[in-house]
Amino acid sequence: MARRTTTRAVALIPALALATAVAGCGGGGGEAQGVPIVNEGTLTTCTHLPYEPFQFRDGREIVGFDVDLGKAIARDLGVEQQIIDTPFETIQSGQDLNAGKCDMAAAGMTINEVREENFDFSDPYFDATQALLVPKGSGIAGFEQLRGKRLGIQNATTGAEYAEANAKPAGVELVGFEDLGLLLEALKTQQIDAVINDNGVLYDYVKRNPELEVSTEFDTGEQYGIGVRTGNTQMREFINQSLQKLKESGEYDKLYQKWFDKLPDEN
Amino acid sequence: MSKRQKARVTRGIQYAVLLVVVLLLALVADWPAIIDGFFNLEVAAAQFPDVITVALLNTALYTALGFALGLGLALVLALMRLSSVGPYRWISGAYIEFFRGLPALLVFLAVGIGVPTAFEVVLDRNVSIMIALGLVGSAYMAETIRAGIKAVPKGQIEAARSLGMSPTRTMITVVIPQAFRIILPPLTNELILLTKDSSLAFLLGSTLDQQELAQFGRQALTDFKSMTPVLVVGLCYLIITIPLSVLQQRLERRFGGAVPGGQGGGA
Repeated sequence: MARRTTTRAVALIPALALATAVAGCGGGGGEAQGVPIVNEGTLTTCTHLPYEPFQFRDGREIVGFDVDLGKAIARDLGVEQQIIDTPFETIQSGQDLNAGKCDMAAAGMTINEVREENFDFSDPYFDATQALLVPKGSGIAGFEQLRGKRLGIQNATTGAEYAEANAKPAGVELVGFEDLGLLLEALKTQQIDAVINDNGVLYDYVKRNPELEVSTEFDTGEQYGIGVRTGNTQMREFINQSLQKLKESGEYDKLYQKWFDKLPDEN
Repeated sequence: MSKRQKARVTRGIQYAVLLVVVLLLALVADWPAIIDGFFNLEVAAAQFPDVITVALLNTALYTALGFALGLGLALVLALMRLSSVGPYRWISGAYIEFFRGLPALLVFLAVGIGVPTAFEVVLDRNVSIMIALGLVGSAYMAETIRAGIKAVPKGQIEAARSLGMSPTRTMITVVIPQAFRIILPPLTNELILLTKDSSLAFLLGSTLDQQELAQFGRQALTDFKSMTPVLVVGLCYLIITIPLSVLQQRLERRFGGAVPGGQGGGA
């Protein structure tokens, strides 16, 4: 009898360890103001760092325009915002939201058809367009001058898509990078000749790197939205209401001024 | 020329080539840029204490979790592989080939995104990391353990059986303890590999407090526009892995080759 118990005990150790671990950390979830949330007491936001000035690390904190908007929404919900940094591919494929990793995704993300299929978007909260970042005096003002050269793109972004459709046919070689930080580093170290990305982040970067310039904008008329899991109408409507309130109270303009040094209509 | 002289000349040439290569590298390298980019003391200082209190600790935690689960699973798999029951052998064989043949990156994606999607469960992040690293580690460790069990001399088993022990009891009290002595060095090696694989945890998304070394360094690379943080986290990895290597060599010297009780006597 005793022998058999020992055997069983040994075989069960890994299973038990796993079960305890799962049980110990499972559970969670709750609601705030009638809106279901994945972690009790917090609004969990998925984002992809760094994407200055929308979301980036400043010392021990994550800050930025999107971060402040998220904070305001969390405040309306009566909870704290917690930010999770995750690869952009799993945000835009909707998998982070489906896996219950977060309540919403705010990542300077353009509303487009492909993403609409993967999750639901809030109302638009920011206007953006694609722009080209080049070394000053390089004379590169469009894809024609980039023929045979290397254009850096950020994987899974609308800029990458635009470059696939417009730069590649013009004979430009595309080089994909995982995040904006690596992409900009590559331009600085001359592994690539130019960078395509959203105008907001590139203008911000030029402020701190005067040896670079934004040489042109491609009028793509994009708008950013906040993502929620497909069918999560309660969360989506709450975010829309909250954004509306921010705009009406003038807080939105204040935040815009804080991060972009100008007002939204001056764009 | 005598044989001895010849040997001396050859050695001289080898040293000369080495010297030329080092000199060339030193001349070609951009020293001010290297010192500024890699050894910026201010940037390095800014990494502390978080690189230790957050990043290093998380790396150690993730590795320990993965190793614990992996070892448990591996033991079961190894016993299954040695079983007289066919299906057990096939299952464990297929498992080992499967997880040994896949990049750990894919396993992380499968656990982090595939499991929640397929089973509608929200896994705690630590549990996801534990499972992903455990799956990868167990495939390698199972083969190591199997080899270890096979290396225990037959005489040991015969002696135990003739004392009236059941096959299971023999396995647990006589064979496995001796097998573990033999496989300690290769297991240490696996621990080193898992330490490095833990860097893939970034795929699952993380808050700043959950970042491990590689992610921490990558972020700081962008924040500080300097390679220094990467160098700092690199050194942190070495703080973990070099002592493990030394331990492995010690263990190898102690247990390697000599099978305890090879003559059929006591260990």
